[in-house]
Amino acid sequence: MRSILRRMLFSIIVLIGVTIIAFGLLRIGHGDPARMMAGGMASADEVEEYRVRMGLNQPLVMQYLTYMKGILHGDLGFSWNYNAPVGDILGVRILQTLRLAGFGLLWAFSFSIILGIVAGINQGTGIDFAAILFAIIGQSMSIVWLGFMLILIFGVTLGWLPTQGMGGFKHMIMPGLCIGFGVASKQTRLMRSGMVDVLREDFVVATRARGISKNKTYFKYALKNALLPIATNMGSELGHMLAGMVVVENIFNWPGMGQLLIQAISMRDYQLVQSVLLVTAIMLVLGNLAADIAYTIIDPRIKFN
Amino acid sequence: MWKSKLFMIGASMLVLLVLICATSGLWIKWSPTTSSLRSRLIAPDWFGNGGLSGHPFGTDPLGRDVLTRLLQGGWVSLKITFMVTIIAMTLGAIVGLVSGYFGGIIDMIVMRISDMLLAIPQLLLAIVVVSVLGPSMFNLVFTLSATSWVATARLVRSVVLNMKHQEFISASRVLGAPTSRIILKELFPNTITQMMIAASGHFGGTILVETNLSYLGMGVPIPNPSWGNLISDGRQYIAAAPWVVIAPGIALMLTVLGFNFLGDGIRDVFDPKNQD
Repeated sequence: MRSILRRMLFSIIVLIGVTIIAFGLLRIGHGDPARMMAGGMASADEVEEYRVRMGLNQPLVMQYLTYMKGILHGDLGFSWNYNAPVGDILGVRILQTLRLAGFGLLWAFSFSIILGIVAGINQGTGIDFAAILFAIIGQSMSIVWLGFMLILIFGVTLGWLPTQGMGGFKHMIMPGLCIGFGVASKQTRLMRSGMVDVLREDFVVATRARGISKNKTYFKYALKNALLPIATNMGSELGHMLAGMVVVENIFNWPGMGQLLIQAISMRDYQLVQSVLLVTAIMLVLGNLAADIAYTIIDPRIKFN
Repeated sequence: MWKSKLFMIGASMLVLLVLICATSGLWIKWSPTTSSLRSRLIAPDWFGNGGLSGHPFGTDPLGRDVLTRLLQGGWVSLKITFMVTIIAMTLGAIVGLVSGYFGGIIDMIVMRISDMLLAIPQLLLAIVVVSVLGPSMFNLVFTLSATSWVATARLVRSVVLNMKHQEFISASRVLGAPTSRIILKELFPNTITQMMIAASGHFGGTILVETNLSYLGMGVPIPNPSWGNLISDGRQYIAAAPWVVIAPGIALMLTVLGFNFLGDGIRDVFDPKNQD
């Protein structure tokens, strides 16, 4: 319990570090948000007016502390571009991104667990070969290309699925397939090799020797051991998916956080970008934390480190 | 290493690819950047129409030959990936060696910083940095290196932590070897195997991230070709002219496949405990 608390404390330090990094990065390069808001034709005085209004004339440390104080009160800042509090804008977008991510994780893990188990049990057969092929090709493919191939096949040629935007379940299928593909292929490989390893263990031979049927051996005894890494992987895969989201949301015009980030950064909408990065980092950190906790719960032999 | 079939397949794929891309300037007649609106979106003629003086893979929306841009773009992407991997892994190795060996407060600070960098997905961080610095080749290489050195640092650090307490290290210290010698001559060579395996993964990952960045317009600056740029070029016309998008994707997949085979081959040879 104490080590969990310590981990949480470290996570908070990490997140504070993330805000510093995000804050600092935005203020390095060129691009003046005050000028962007004022417009190209504005005079120096008008730009200065905007600058004061946006709080950009304050010393950097003050700006950072103001932002952080807001966070403590649950206020993620104000978006100059959208002219609304960041929290409102983010709220809707996070939901959409998480919907897609959730769907992706769901199908990816279901598929890879089943395929991995079947492949592990039936090593050397056609199914095994197909699983390995799927794993290798999935890891080598670009999400961008996969997205467009899906659009080409299911949207353009077959006309089965809508290719853009949000709507019913049908709109979620292709982007969901796309975002989950990488996870599915990686987890298939892991599940399969996990199953293969477990099946090689002595206790499996012993169980069979005692007369327990093949099915019961595999599904009751071997499976539990092979499933251990899966629960923990779910947490860490979320992070990888969040990166892919940016691209997938662009391809399928899905109104999520990835799309928001790209729009915000081009407009130098500082507080929006900072908060998007912070929220993403929070999700990632929480995912990893959950994975670690799940690990200790499932296998009490493992000391929490 | 030569005995591993995987390694040989991967290595030959990559060598072939690099050779074709690197020498493409010599035997391709079309320019990768000059547009010609008269030849927009011509379908591939598969070496039919006078071989290379035709358009084997067709043309893109601005009339540029796809095969030319594919090969030139490949060369650009490969060069970037290569540079990034060398820089990031060197930096990561140095940090990992120092942090792992000296431990203490240095290690703690390094680990916290790396945790912070890892808390933001690489692509997102790269997008922000490139947007802030501006689109250029140098910024791209810088950004990709700066966002990927952490994994190597952690890997090297964990190897060093395992070796630190072994007898051959204490023996060297007792014999009076200076710290730099211990790090360079004793610790570092033992990390090379792991680093080689990690390098192949790093190559594959970097080229995929670079493609994503270029697709979003934040990677290789247009009109320079890059596989990601090609895909975004062909995006609008995917229904009418799918070849513009299909070609770079397949090239990319073969490249990453080659790197993965390479890495698996190396792992088979040096890490026989890990059987897949």
